[in-house]
Amino acid sequence: MPKLTLQYEGRLLKEYTVGVGLTIGRAPDNAVIIDNPAVSGHHARVYSESGAVILEDLDSTNGTYVNGQHTLRHIMRHGDVVLVGKHQLVFDSASEFAMAPPPAVPSLGDTMYLDTKQGREMRASLQPGPGQALDETRIRPGVRAAAKIPTAPRRVGVLQVIAGRAEHTEYDLEAHTSLIGKSENALVRLHGWFKPSVAVAIARSNDGYVATLMGGRTTINNEPLEKRHALQEGDVLNVNGLVLEFRWKDLVAESAA
Amino acid sequence: MRLRVGAGTHTGRVRALNEDAYMLRADEGLFVVCDGMGGAPAGEVASQLAVDAIHRELRETTAPFGEAVSDERRYLPHTNRLAAVVRRSNEVIYEQAQKDPRQAGMGTTVVGAWIRQQVVSVAHVGDSRAYLWHDHRLEPLTRDHSLGEAQMAAGLIEEVRRLPVEHQNALVRVLGREPDVEVDLREVPVQPGDYLLLCSDGLTRMVPEFMLAQAFHDFRKPQRICDFLIAAANSNGGADNITVVVVEVTGGWWRRWMNGWMRFARREAVSGFGRTSGEVCRS
Repeated sequence: MPKLTLQYEGRLLKEYTVGVGLTIGRAPDNAVIIDNPAVSGHHARVYSESGAVILEDLDSTNGTYVNGQHTLRHIMRHGDVVLVGKHQLVFDSASEFAMAPPPAVPSLGDTMYLDTKQGREMRASLQPGPGQALDETRIRPGVRAAAKIPTAPRRVGVLQVIAGRAEHTEYDLEAHTSLIGKSENALVRLHGWFKPSVAVAIARSNDGYVATLMGGRTTINNEPLEKRHALQEGDVLNVNGLVLEFRWKDLVAESAA
Repeated sequence: MRLRVGAGTHTGRVRALNEDAYMLRADEGLFVVCDGMGGAPAGEVASQLAVDAIHRELRETTAPFGEAVSDERRYLPHTNRLAAVVRRSNEVIYEQAQKDPRQAGMGTTVVGAWIRQQVVSVAHVGDSRAYLWHDHRLEPLTRDHSLGEAQMAAGLIEEVRRLPVEHQNALVRVLGREPDVEVDLREVPVQPGDYLLLCSDGLTRMVPEFMLAQAFHDFRKPQRICDFLIAAANSNGGADNITVVVVEVTGGWWRRWMNGWMRFARREAVSGFGRTSGEVCRS
């Protein structure tokens, strides 16, 4: 009977008879369980059909390779080497090996840590490498959008001084948190006896800025600022007499220049 | 601005040992939760080392604000200092693990919050989490450094749920396993009435987020919230050590009284004690 030999880095791990067919993957219900993050839950299957043994990729994330060639469906020949993640399955067309081992149930693990090597492997498996480009159609559009590596923001918020005493006429909100107040860490420094140490904190998030009142009196568009306020183009902040207007500044022109 | 603090830790109902450690320094505004790993006696050693190192380093660095390690990333000075201290604690654990073969391979997660000038700096490594309860919503402040999260972020899987459990929770970053570690940072301005929650995964794996939010909605005293959450985690299985730290940011007595009254009024309105109280609380 045809059999598959599971190998990892040259070490022989286990032998499996193909029989009617078996599935390869990371999930516990596979006949060939490969416990490696680079392997999909149900990665591939091997089955007999009219005397031939056929390997089929089950829409796996990282793909299945036969003798170094990416493949979706392949008729197995003696000596073929199937690469699933980093594990190799060597196909032997005529073997008398009997009995497939029962699928082992993995224990519910404690918190574990992927060491450097595994971690690197895992990270490598997360990035489409050469020859194993991620299939765009396999990933839902929404997921794909979220998956995008955040690029440097193309625009930055700016506070422009309209009225009142300040050191600059314009402040770029580049930091994660920009403070307005008397504090030495403040971006916009207030001066004077009754000014708060921190009047307003402006937090930068992925898609905008949120102003939070920290102390003193601040109005936004002539309404008192109480809770958080997501800043919009043209919002006018009045921080204890210092009037600031929020607007967006594009960085594209600058980076191109 | 004042801080009221509640904290608790529990071994859970499955483990024999508690490998979590936490530290409260309300006067300095510093709070840390660590979840050790690596089996006895290494796990609890690692978490305790981390907690001690963070406290010691932060105190011994005499400069009021340490040098900004990564100024280009544009964090506040005290956020950068917290990050530097967490990285230092990583070195301490790593060196200790190299010295003692019985403790080789120990590691710990860490989530630390340092509140200064009404801005909380959060530094974390691993799967211990921080949340902010603000305006009746619970916001996560951290993203676990677990394989599930990493794969989801890379768009390889649609939901964490599709991974087998042991992979979901495999950590891709912890303190003490490598000579250097990358620390995730976050800054959030806080206002009176906000609550900060730091917890180990023994809580978040047992209690869903809506129940965490419910606890903040129902109780006011930080200690009461802690006790409730630990009890909830245990009644849901208590599969791991549970550590909970809750910090309430309070204003003066007047603000506290107002918040308490508003909460009372809202509850009355929900339970249908007449339309008038509902109108009052909305205004």
